Amino acid sequence: MNTPIKSLSLGILLCMGLVLLSWWNLFAWSVVPVTGLDVWHAVTAFDSQVIAQRIVIDLRLPRLLTALLVGAALAAAGTIMQGLTRNPLAAPSVLGVNAGAALGMALVSTLPAFYGAFSTSIAAMLGGGLAWLLVMLLGSAWRMGGNDQGRLVLAGVAISALCAALTKAVVIMEEDQAAGVMTWLAGSLADARWQSWSTFWPVALVGLIGALLLTPALNLLQLGEDNARNLGINLLRSKLLGSLLVLILVGATISTVGSIGFVGLIVPHIARLLMGQDFRLFLPVAMLLGAGLVTLADTLSRAITYPMETPAGAILALIGAPFFIYLVRKRTL
Amino acid sequence: MSLSAHQLSVGYHGQAIVKDMDLTLPDGRFIALLGPNGCGKSTLLKCFARILPAMSGEARWQGQNLHAYPSKQLSKELALLPQTQPIPEGIKVQDLVAYGRSPYTGFWGKLSQQDHQIVEQMMQQTGTYELKDKLVSELSGGQRQRVWLAMVLAQDTPYLLLDEPTTYMDINHQVELMHQLQRLNKQGKTIITVLHDINQAARYCDHLVVMKEGELKHQGSPDEVLTSAMLKEVFSLNAQIHRDPVAGTPMCVVED
Repeated sequence: MNTPIKSLSLGILLCMGLVLLSWWNLFAWSVVPVTGLDVWHAVTAFDSQVIAQRIVIDLRLPRLLTALLVGAALAAAGTIMQGLTRNPLAAPSVLGVNAGAALGMALVSTLPAFYGAFSTSIAAMLGGGLAWLLVMLLGSAWRMGGNDQGRLVLAGVAISALCAALTKAVVIMEEDQAAGVMTWLAGSLADARWQSWSTFWPVALVGLIGALLLTPALNLLQLGEDNARNLGINLLRSKLLGSLLVLILVGATISTVGSIGFVGLIVPHIARLLMGQDFRLFLPVAMLLGAGLVTLADTLSRAITYPMETPAGAILALIGAPFFIYLVRKRTL
Repeated sequence: MSLSAHQLSVGYHGQAIVKDMDLTLPDGRFIALLGPNGCGKSTLLKCFARILPAMSGEARWQGQNLHAYPSKQLSKELALLPQTQPIPEGIKVQDLVAYGRSPYTGFWGKLSQQDHQIVEQMMQQTGTYELKDKLVSELSGGQRQRVWLAMVLAQDTPYLLLDEPTTYMDINHQVELMHQLQRLNKQGKTIITVLHDINQAARYCDHLVVMKEGELKHQGSPDEVLTSAMLKEVFSLNAQIHRDPVAGTPMCVVED
């Protein structure tokens, strides 16, 4: 089939799927019974006297919107990282950004010395940025030779472990804060409200638009540094811009819903499989798929231990870990 | 329009390989950079291609510092074919060649009708048009080299730099490539290539630059440069100079 027609029909199909999934997410597995029809009424003719409709508008809708945007942001961040490093295993959770951001947030939200020094989003971005810088230096990934791919992932694992250990130490020292930090480390959308949404969406949107604008440069970077430079790409500028976008996307996400892994790793691969290697085509698809995956995980997070909630991050890890192993085996064998 | 070095030193890890070089490459010629291993010919080319920075001195393009020249503008004027190329996954031949048009396309990289024509023309010129729907990763080494050549030709630059383009090629592909470069040169393109084979350089190129230990030793036409004395001095080789029976160009024959 013709590529533009194929892309367009796939895009429409994905959007329709996303709308259905979103609708399901708004009413499924609610402790107070909510029906699909309540959702329809809440959206079209809101009546604040009906409890079910108020649940949809006050609790479910901000949660759904957050899930959609979180998924898109993490998918975009993973795509940029894979593009910049030319490493199929690159993703925020693999290369230490998640763990670093978590440490940054744990520090400002528990330790009195750091308390209020920065906002939690800034702390997440600083922590994530620092961790990533370390990983890139240790894995010598700025030279995109392609031979150091294993080394980069090893550096990511090491720095992630270090950050996780420090985060735990901080949490243990400040016991009264511990429970909150632990839920947040597992990554959950249960606390997403209109208030957190209002600070999250502008930042994430900037990151997503930036990511789309970076795609032509990412395409040329796949030809190797020498060719990219030869074709007029300013390497330093593209890498810095890409890194900054990853930090904005991941930082905003983590400070809103906590550490959610594996979306950034899995989704770009599926999008590539569907759309081919052109970043301009597969990044938008990756965003839609990411939004769908996180929304699905959030829906399931209410179902698995109903009426209790399982963190969505834990569900994604259950799906993501086997996929990661599959990717590693496919590369080396 | 010209490429030149001014007191230029280039190297790795603080060690200069090209030392205080002054050199102006003539416009419109087919130029070979020659010299024994480690003489700095590839290092110099890498500096002209901005893969390596200048340690001291300056490489200049049109009288301006090459390394401060705007990237996008330079990519319309100076193209590079690196010695070893990555094997991009999942990219079709025509898409790779089309990337050669990126300096000219708008920000989003959409090709105009004219861009499409140039891409097709370059594929035809390099004999890769029949491969256009194949994946680059499926091709043989020689085919892939031609596809990369088509890409840098699609860049449509007046200057083209090549780093040992014939090294991994069969002899027939080597000859084919040299003929092609000669044709491009006749069409007005300045070509600067690092070569190993002195006789190949003397036969096809019209300007030779000979380096030794990071310094410029000789430059000029093959007749001026390719002499027994030069081979003795630069390569420590005893050789006679004869005429190539086909092209009439000088060629060296090594003595026992």
